[in-house]
Amino acid sequence: MQAIAESSKPKTQSTSPLLTFWRTFRRNPMALVGLTMLIIILLLAVFARQLAPYDVTSSANVSTADIYNPPGGAHLLGTDDAGKDVLSNFFFGARISLIVGFFAAFISVFIGGVIGIVAGFYGGRIENILMRFTDIMLVIPDLPLMVVIVALTKPSLINIIFVIGLLGWTTTARIVRSQTLAVKSRKFVLRARAIGAGNFHIILHHILPLVMPLLVVNAILVISLAILNESALSFIGLGDPTALSWGQMLNYAFGRGAMSAGAWWALVVPGLGIVWVVLALTLLGHGLEQVLNPRLEFHHLEPGRPVVQSEARQPVARAEDGRPILLEVQNLSVDYVTAGKPPARAVENVSFQLREGELMGLVGESGCGKTTLMLALLRLLPPAGQIVGGKVWFMGRDLTAMDETELQTVRWNGISIVFQGAMNAFNPVRTIGDQIFEAIQKHTPILPEDKIEDRVSELLELVGISAEHKAHFPHQYSGGMRQRAMIAMALACNPSVVIADEPTTALDVMIQAQILELLDSLRKKLGLSIIFVTHDLGVVAEMCDSVLVMYGGVTAEYASVDTIYNAPRHPYTQELLKAFPDLSKLDKRLASIPGYPPRLDQLPPGCRFAPRCPQALERCHTQPPALHRLEGTHVASCHLLDG
Amino acid sequence: MTNMDYFLEVRDLKKYFQAGRPGWFSKSTRLVHAVDDISLQLQRGEVIALVGESGCGKSTLALTLMGLEKPTAGQIIFEGEDITHADESQLKTLRQRIQMVFQDPYESLNPTQSIEEIVGEPLVVHDLGLSPAERRERVVRALEDAGLKPADIYMRRFPHELSGGQRQRVVIAGALVLEPHLLLADEPVSMLDVSIRAEILNLLADLRKSRQISIIFITHDLGTVGYFADRIAVMYLGRIVETGAMREVLESPQHPYTRALLSVIPVPNPRLRRERVILQGETPNPIDLPSGCRFHPRCPVAIERCKQEDPPYVRLSATHQTACWLVKEA
Repeated sequence: MQAIAESSKPKTQSTSPLLTFWRTFRRNPMALVGLTMLIIILLLAVFARQLAPYDVTSSANVSTADIYNPPGGAHLLGTDDAGKDVLSNFFFGARISLIVGFFAAFISVFIGGVIGIVAGFYGGRIENILMRFTDIMLVIPDLPLMVVIVALTKPSLINIIFVIGLLGWTTTARIVRSQTLAVKSRKFVLRARAIGAGNFHIILHHILPLVMPLLVVNAILVISLAILNESALSFIGLGDPTALSWGQMLNYAFGRGAMSAGAWWALVVPGLGIVWVVLALTLLGHGLEQVLNPRLEFHHLEPGRPVVQSEARQPVARAEDGRPILLEVQNLSVDYVTAGKPPARAVENVSFQLREGELMGLVGESGCGKTTLMLALLRLLPPAGQIVGGKVWFMGRDLTAMDETELQTVRWNGISIVFQGAMNAFNPVRTIGDQIFEAIQKHTPILPEDKIEDRVSELLELVGISAEHKAHFPHQYSGGMRQRAMIAMALACNPSVVIADEPTTALDVMIQAQILELLDSLRKKLGLSIIFVTHDLGVVAEMCDSVLVMYGGVTAEYASVDTIYNAPRHPYTQELLKAFPDLSKLDKRLASIPGYPPRLDQLPPGCRFAPRCPQALERCHTQPPALHRLEGTHVASCHLLDG
Repeated sequence: MTNMDYFLEVRDLKKYFQAGRPGWFSKSTRLVHAVDDISLQLQRGEVIALVGESGCGKSTLALTLMGLEKPTAGQIIFEGEDITHADESQLKTLRQRIQMVFQDPYESLNPTQSIEEIVGEPLVVHDLGLSPAERRERVVRALEDAGLKPADIYMRRFPHELSGGQRQRVVIAGALVLEPHLLLADEPVSMLDVSIRAEILNLLADLRKSRQISIIFITHDLGTVGYFADRIAVMYLGRIVETGAMREVLESPQHPYTRALLSVIPVPNPRLRRERVILQGETPNPIDLPSGCRFHPRCPVAIERCKQEDPPYVRLSATHQTACWLVKEA
């Protein structure tokens, strides 16, 4: 337990979500521009009395000569039909327009939020009634209804606010309901129920905080809609005659001959005001959406930036047993680069060889760089990831030096990859057969369609799914079948190397055994080379030829499977093996490795395993160990092996 | 045998769901037999492992015991009290005594709450009349009991700042804070790395000793139950097919399903590669149950009789029993 506390100490100080939010927000230009524009107009409205050159409420000192005076001189933006200063009107109009916008939006968002959350949370009959009511409200055209209601009631400011507010909640309700449904099904809500929390507590503490971001974004867009609606109502003469809003200004100017008088300023100024606010709110809304949902911004699998290296070739090497080496990784290093921080070394100096028909296990705890290493092989790293050194030889060509188009011919055709959790990545509305069909067609467009159909059936049969299941949708497949289908897809273009990233992790032991058996049989049948990525040493023992154990981004130990399990030299490998439940020693307490793997941005100065290592020496904490070559292909990086 | 003999007694429990979502006009009459006639008994401080593949009904059984699902039939007696049809207020007091640890520590923590809020939430919900200082003290104790020491450095953090193992400890701390008598642990280690698994399993074993908590440990992996379970119950398609003391089940498994599950546990030694019984296919859907023994379509040793008649329980010892036509009474 002591070690846990120690390993946690150097972690960065806790940051509140609000602070993190502000940091991301600051970097989003769209949101910043929108916010600035909005603040400017808010300030103008708040300080209208101080800023306006004239008092718009009094009609004193106005003569007929003042009507529709062009901009310039005493009136910076000219005068209107009543001889009043347009600029002053604009400032005071901002007040009314914004007040209506904000209050109406508040009403809409409140009603929409409550209906959405209640419908989404309680479901069943309540949901049915509320959502059908929402549907009805949604199909009624808002503006004509507003016109009718405002025309029937007194067109006062309060009435207008309520009419706009009471009719504008439908989209909010729908958005909030779907978000509530999504949040409601998450495990922490079930957990809250299990501790005995009531509905109100769950809504307040678990649903609302997660619906809130969406509600804020939506509220901002609702405000702009409300301002537009108010302007439209005022423009057609249904505004509050005592309150001058931008819409009202347009109405007066338009109705009282501004067009024929050529007084464009009387129309353009309030128009620009409306455009300005709506633009500001839209920018802010979209910006916020990006900030609150960073996944909108970029795709995880964008092509990484390669190191520029000259194209290189070398003859295909052969291993000692005469089998050709298909893939050879030499001293590969990968950095993650974040602005304003030193690069984090995710993978350092990793080397391995993969012979034809070999099954290699890549083992390590989460966060030790396994997936990064595999993505780097195919240069599929996220934009922040960069290969900063080393080579990847595949069939005599260096993948790190290839350009994108050449790489395309290697990806899937030469080396294919089954991503972690990929079995949940099938498109739910298309059949499995269709999706495999599409993958083949994309890579070999010359193949006639009926040939592809045959190939799809063949592939499915190969992974143990009868061809009649081709026409089924992903939800009709079980987890194990989806994983098989994913493997079929990876085999579509006859690759020589398949990388399987944690293919059995979320599956039951029995299904796990089935998938392992399948991979082993595919290797024998098709002569495939397979890299099997896992955190579970037990899983790979039964069928791997060699095992690469990674820790904190470096090679801890790399050897044949027998050596790894029976004569491991690195303490990490030894500890991992001890942590494994052994059914022949039921009385013994399980050994565990206290502490956690290091964070990439806080690597210890010496050996990365030293803080958790039971055999660590003094120098382990200060110097990184060298990679020792032991007998044969066995390598390990540990100070205990120093001469 | 009276009700008072056991700490928890489940009698012929059934939980059926309606298949598909009934629409406005259609009424579905097909039933999912998630839990079908389960009986089990638990003594105070005892740990029982419920083992089976996904879809065997073990999670539904847990949710039913928690009162989060209403049972279709049967009886649940907990600490001498019939809680089968407990109402909301009964359930609320009950939940101070039964707590649950969920499978996925990444999903079962609300990302917007701090660790202190998460662990302290049950105290707020149950409103035990504690002062803020007392509440804090209990949160600290629960966190430290769950192995997060010193608790101070974790209280202000948010779930995303913790590793998977630490999050699972937070979930356990949240379950401990009410000082429950029974802990339902639903696959508490299946989402964790092997190296972390051992720590969590050891933690549960320690808690059971130090706090005298009874644990129902739900898992698909027989390999993880040996260390602290007193008894094992193997489930298949809503029914217990074999149950016995831990050693009886692990060392002399009788049901072909138990044997198959045992044979596929990975052995971390390539020199010990052994014959594995890999069952083909997956647990069939519990809507259209197979005739006779529910396991016969996947059973490697099924005989003709298995297809027609459902086997009764065969008693092998005072604690060990199984439902299989091929097993003879001791």
